[in-house]
Amino acid sequence: MLQSIKPKRSVIFAYLIVPVVLFVFTVFVPLVAALIYSFTNWKGGPTKTFNGIQNYIDLFHDNVFWLSFGNNIFLVVACIIGQIGIAFILVMLINSKLVKLKGIHRTFGFFPSTISALCVGFIWSMIYDQRRGLINWALVQLGKYSSAKNAPIWLDNSAAPIMLILAIPLIWQYIGYYMVIILSAVSSIDTEVLESAEIDGASGFKRARYVVLPLIRNTLLVCMTLCIAGNMKAFDNIYAMTEGGPGYDSMVMALYGYKVSFEQSNLGYGSTISVGIFVLSLAVIGGSQFLLNYFMVDKYDRAEAKAKKIQDKQARAAYKARMAEMKGRG
Amino acid sequence: MKRKVVSVMLSAVMAATLAVGCGSSSNDSSSGSSADSSTDSSASTETSADSSADTTAAADADTAATVNSYAGEINFMHFSTSEEVAGKNGGADAFRTAIAQWEEANPDITLKQDILANDDYKTQIATKAAADDLPDVFLLQGMNTISWSNQGLILDLSEYITGSPYASAYNMDYLVPFTTGGKYYAFPALTGGTCCVVIYDSQMWSDIGYDAFPTTWADVEAAAAAFASSDQYADVDTIAFGNGGQWQMNSDFISCLAYQYTGTDWYADIIAGGGNSKFTDDAFVAALTETQRLFKDTSIFNSNFNSVTNEDAREYFIAGDAAAFIGGNWDWSYIYDNLKTNDPDKFANMKVAVLPKVADGTYTDNFQNIGLGYGVAISSKVASDPDKLAACVDLAQYLTGPAFATYVGANYALGGFCSADVDLSAFDQQTVDFYNFSYVDNKGCEIYDSYVDGSVWSVLNTEMQEMTNGSKDPATVAADTQAAYEAYLAG
Repeated sequence: MLQSIKPKRSVIFAYLIVPVVLFVFTVFVPLVAALIYSFTNWKGGPTKTFNGIQNYIDLFHDNVFWLSFGNNIFLVVACIIGQIGIAFILVMLINSKLVKLKGIHRTFGFFPSTISALCVGFIWSMIYDQRRGLINWALVQLGKYSSAKNAPIWLDNSAAPIMLILAIPLIWQYIGYYMVIILSAVSSIDTEVLESAEIDGASGFKRARYVVLPLIRNTLLVCMTLCIAGNMKAFDNIYAMTEGGPGYDSMVMALYGYKVSFEQSNLGYGSTISVGIFVLSLAVIGGSQFLLNYFMVDKYDRAEAKAKKIQDKQARAAYKARMAEMKGRG
Repeated sequence: MKRKVVSVMLSAVMAATLAVGCGSSSNDSSSGSSADSSTDSSASTETSADSSADTTAAADADTAATVNSYAGEINFMHFSTSEEVAGKNGGADAFRTAIAQWEEANPDITLKQDILANDDYKTQIATKAAADDLPDVFLLQGMNTISWSNQGLILDLSEYITGSPYASAYNMDYLVPFTTGGKYYAFPALTGGTCCVVIYDSQMWSDIGYDAFPTTWADVEAAAAAFASSDQYADVDTIAFGNGGQWQMNSDFISCLAYQYTGTDWYADIIAGGGNSKFTDDAFVAALTETQRLFKDTSIFNSNFNSVTNEDAREYFIAGDAAAFIGGNWDWSYIYDNLKTNDPDKFANMKVAVLPKVADGTYTDNFQNIGLGYGVAISSKVASDPDKLAACVDLAQYLTGPAFATYVGANYALGGFCSADVDLSAFDQQTVDFYNFSYVDNKGCEIYDSYVDGSVWSVLNTEMQEMTNGSKDPATVAADTQAAYEAYLAG
C-alpha cells in the first residue's frame, strides 16, 4: 500500500528521464547557446568573433527594437482587455439561464484558437484587403464609398493605427481559449453562493463583480500570465499580414529578431535580440504578477491584513513595555 | 514489480515517439520527389546503365553527359521543385531535366537531392552555412559570394570555369555576382530573367489614344489623367504595383530606375566597395526622390501598393482593373500563362515595354536589370576527395552547359549562362517580344540585391516603404542605407 503512494526512485527516474532530456535539448541548450552567441559578431558561417557586450550596447541604442517592444506592450494591453475582458463577459452570458445550447456556444467560441495563427493571419488579410476584402465590400454595399478603390487601405497605417488593426485578429482568435478556462473556473463556484446572492437581491452585474470575480481571482491571474507571455512572443499573424510594415510600424520583437537573424544573416546580434526578448518578457511577466497580486487581492483581505498588522504592532509594543517594566522593577 | 515494468514500457514508448518525431522532421526537409528519384536511380542501376549508353550514342556529343569514375554519394541542394515545373518555370524544368540526364549517365553516383521551395531554401542554406554543414553541391546566391568565400565555405572554381569544355559559349558578364578577388565561385545557373518589365494591355492604351506604352514618366502621368477622365476606364489604375513584401520596390523598380541617374559605373563601385560611390550621392538621392514622387504624389499607381504583394497586383492587371503592371520575369510568365488559357482576347493585347524615362536623368539607355541570381557552387569540403570533386565539377558544368541552354531555349525561349542557337519561329509573338526585350533590345544592368548584403537591402527596402508612404524623406533613407553599407564593408 505504502509502495503505491511512494514509488521507488528508479521508477520516478524512468518516468522523468525522457521529458527531462527533451526539455534540456529543446529549451535549455538553445537558450544557453543563444546567450553565448549573443556576445559574438557572427554573420553566419563558422567564424564567430567574441566582441564582448558591444551587441548589448547596440541593442540598447536600437530604436527599432524599442519600437517593437512598445508594439508588444500595446498588444499585451489590448489583448488583456480584449481577450480576457470579452471572454469574461461571454462566460457570464453563457452561464445565464436565458442562453440555450451552451455546448455549441462553447465549441464554436473555442474553434478559432485551434487554427494556426499563420492561417488566421492570411484569413484576416483577405478580410482587410482594400480591393477584394470583406470589410470594404460591405462598406461599398452600404454606399459609404463609390468603389473599393476609394475605400480605406486597412493594412497600411492610413485608415487606423496598424497595431490596432493587427490586434483585432489576435483578440478574435483567443477569446474562446480564455472563455473555456474561465468557464471551468466559474462552474466550480458553489451554486449556493450565487443563489444566496440572488436571494439577497444582487443584480447580474453585482453578482459578477462582487461574487464571481473574487472567487475566480487565481484563474484570472493564470489567464493574464498566459496572455502576457503569448503576446510578448507574437509573430505569426503579423508575419502573415504585414511582415512588420509599413516600414517598421508593426514590427514586434520576435519578428525583428527573425529579420535580423535570417534576412540580414546577422546571427550574433539576432541572438542578442532573443536574449533581450527573454529578459524583457520575464521582467514584464514578473512585474505584472506583482501588480496583479497587489490589485487583485480583495480589499477586505487587505483591510484585514492591515488590521492584523496594527494589532501585531500594538501587541509587540505592549510586550516591550511590559518587559521594560519588569526590567525597571528588577 | 508490475509498476516497474509498466513504467519502463511507458518510457520506452516515449523514447520511440521521440525517435519517430525526429525521423519524420528530417523527412520533411527533403522533398518527397527527391527521395523517389534517388531510390529510383539506385534501384534501377542496371537498366539505366544501358539507357545511358544509348543516350550517349544518340545525343549530340556536345550536350551528352560525361560518365564519371567516382562512385558514391553527392549531396545536392536546390530549389527547382516539381511545383515550379508545374507552374511553367522553364529554368526549373530544364534544370530538373538536366539533372535527370546526368543521373542517368552516372549510375554509380547516388545524387541525394534536397529540393525546397525558394523561400525555405534561402533560410535552410543560410542555416547550413552558419553551421558549416553545406551540401556538396548547391545553389549560391550572388550576395553571399564574398562572405562565404571569405569564410572558406565554397571552392574557387576559376580553373573549372575557364577550362570548361563549353567556356567559349559562356556569357562572362553573368559571372559578376559570383566573382570576388578575381576568382569565380559558381557556375551561373538557371535562366537570366529581367527583374523590371512593364506589361501592358495595348487595347486599353489605344482606347485613350496611345499607340504604345509611353516612353517618359511625364507621358504616363498624362495617361493616368486620361484614364481617370474617360468613361470606360474611370476606375482603372494606370499601373499596378505590389510592394507588400518590401523587396519589390528594390528588385522591380529602383534597381532599374536608378541607373538613369547613376549609370552602371556607380553600382559597379558599390559592389566592389571601392569607396567612390555612396548611397548618399546626389544621383541616388535623386532616384529615391523621383520614386517617392511617382508613388506618393501622382495617381499612376494603385493606392494600396504598399499593402499588397506583386501576386495581388498582377491579378489587378489580369482582371482589367489596371492598364499595366510592373514586375519581374516570374510575373510575366504567370500573366502569360493565365491570360493564354483564360482570356485569349486580352492575351492578344499583352505587350511589354521598358521602364519609362525620368525627366532629369543623366543616362538615356533603355535599362532593364537582368542577371543570374544563383550559381552552382561546390562546398570546400569536397576538395579532399579528387574523384568526388571531378564528379561535382562535371555536374556543375553539365547543369549550366549547352544541354540546359538548348532545352530551355527551345522549350521556353529563355537564355542562361551558356548561349545556344535558339530558333524562335515556333513561339508566339508575346514570347518573341519578351525574348527580344530580355536578351536583344535593351541594355542590361545589374540587379541590386544579387550583390552586397541582405543587411543593406533590409534597411533600404523597409525605409523605402516608409518613404513612399510619406513618413520618411529620401535623404534620410539614403543616409541610413549608406550607414548599413559602411557597417557591412567594415565587416
